[in-house]
Amino acid sequence: MMVGKSKLSTTMNYIYLTLLAIVSVFPLLWIILSSVKSSGEMANNPLSFFPEKITFDYYFRVLNDLSFTTNIKNSLLVSFSATFITIVVSALGAYGIVRFFPKAGKKMTKILITTYMFPPILLAVPYSIIIVSVGLVNTWTGLVITYLSFSIPYAIWMLIGFFQTVPLEIEEAAKVDGAGIVRTFLQVVLPIVAPGVVATAIYTFINTWNEFLFALLLINSSEKMPISVALYSLTGSEVLDWGEMMAASVIVILPSIIFFMIIQNKIAGGLSDGAGK
Amino acid sequence: MEKKLKSFNLTGMLFVLPSVLIVILLLIYPIFSSIYFSFTSKNLIRPFYDFVWLENFKFVLTNPDFYRAFMNSIKWTVLSLAGQLFIGFTAALALNRIPKFTGLYRTLLIIPWAFPAIVIAFSWKYILNDVYGFLPNLLTKLGITDANINFLANPDLAFIVVVLINIWFGAPLFMVNILSALKTVPSEQYEAAQMDGASSFQVFWHITLRHIRVVIGLLLVLRTIWVFNNFDILYLITGGGPSDITTTLPIFAFKAGWGMKQLGVASAITVILLLFLLGICFLYFKLLDKWEREDR
Repeated sequence: MMVGKSKLSTTMNYIYLTLLAIVSVFPLLWIILSSVKSSGEMANNPLSFFPEKITFDYYFRVLNDLSFTTNIKNSLLVSFSATFITIVVSALGAYGIVRFFPKAGKKMTKILITTYMFPPILLAVPYSIIIVSVGLVNTWTGLVITYLSFSIPYAIWMLIGFFQTVPLEIEEAAKVDGAGIVRTFLQVVLPIVAPGVVATAIYTFINTWNEFLFALLLINSSEKMPISVALYSLTGSEVLDWGEMMAASVIVILPSIIFFMIIQNKIAGGLSDGAGK
Repeated sequence: MEKKLKSFNLTGMLFVLPSVLIVILLLIYPIFSSIYFSFTSKNLIRPFYDFVWLENFKFVLTNPDFYRAFMNSIKWTVLSLAGQLFIGFTAALALNRIPKFTGLYRTLLIIPWAFPAIVIAFSWKYILNDVYGFLPNLLTKLGITDANINFLANPDLAFIVVVLINIWFGAPLFMVNILSALKTVPSEQYEAAQMDGASSFQVFWHITLRHIRVVIGLLLVLRTIWVFNNFDILYLITGGGPSDITTTLPIFAFKAGWGMKQLGVASAITVILLLFLLGICFLYFKLLDKWEREDR
């Protein structure tokens, strides 16, 4: 009886999860499938699932005619710069908090959460005034600076969790061996938390790659636009070309999806560890 | 000894300094500058402005559109979070109980989380499009609707549809965090409860829920802030329409600041938004502190 019941509930769980999985994956599947269909097929048979004939015309159009390659380069440049600065600053900050100010660190977590409260739209007003007044409007530098505002608090928060796992004894052993604090940090501590640092870097990269509001407000020439805003500008035309929009969407989303798969085990733990402290 | 302690702290300061500077320059200073501009007639294009003191706040707080946007924000936040929590929680429980393919399902269910706002908008607008969209065509073909529905232009449906899209997007974050919290519940407690003959509901209520409620509380704080502040998903899917039924406070502020070019008014709206969120967070943290004390 008991076995029968648990078998039934296991089956129910699988059915539930399968339904959720279908709903979760469908939009991704649909934009990929639509991006390789011919325009005739998209218009004539909106319900056909697999393309009759696979064509990459939309991709060529998006990359060549719409010069999305430039926008991709812009996005790579902005996201890599923002990620690099974020990781350097946050790794130092998080390590400093964990090792030198552990008591203040507990308060720090709450302060960092509070910075989440600052709505992007709240920061958008002063940023659009300040960035103009220092002459950084329509520059990548200006955009990278604004990205640090949301990426650094989050990265510090994630990294504090990883640095806390490093046992103090290892560091003390290094000190006994005559290593200074900087060498201990670089050669002993960083290698231990490297997977966590990589996960944080990837997460930062995805968030800056996906960012929309600040890019919309601060960049106004199409050759400087990062890809999210360039994609948005496709909706400005009178007649929407869904095929182009789907192909461009696939190009934008692929890095996010791939990176997300890689770090999915790392982004999970943070909150439940943090709550336990 | 004293000297050593001092240099120790100096090194610590040097490690923390860049972060502190950036937080001050990029978060604290802009917030104060926003409060400052909320008392002025700052315009997006005109270089000069005057002090108008509380005029902007008076203008906002006597504007019925503000209260409509405020109510929309509350509805948007409460409905989205309820749905995300429910789906995320049930999915985590199911994942925790199945014997095989846990990793596969987890990976598939996490996919919406990776979507950039612009792609959320494009993919769902395409799926819901009344001419080429998969869903309206499917419903008509199945005979559920007589003609294709234009979901996002329909004032009765648009709001609930964007909420459902937001649930689709946000549920994985709840799922992943609740799943990892479920793994921390000690299994001895389950065994003990089973021996005492507790019903599965009792086990769930007194053991599972009690153990992970702090994580859920923290998640709710973070996501309340995030969903309440969210601008890009709604802006990119509906732009606040049709006829303003999806205009939440961030979109209302954006329209004031960049549509009507009145940055002073936009600042006043965002300052009110921040005050409201500070109040909510204060209440949440009070509750979380109480729970954490009880757990000890």
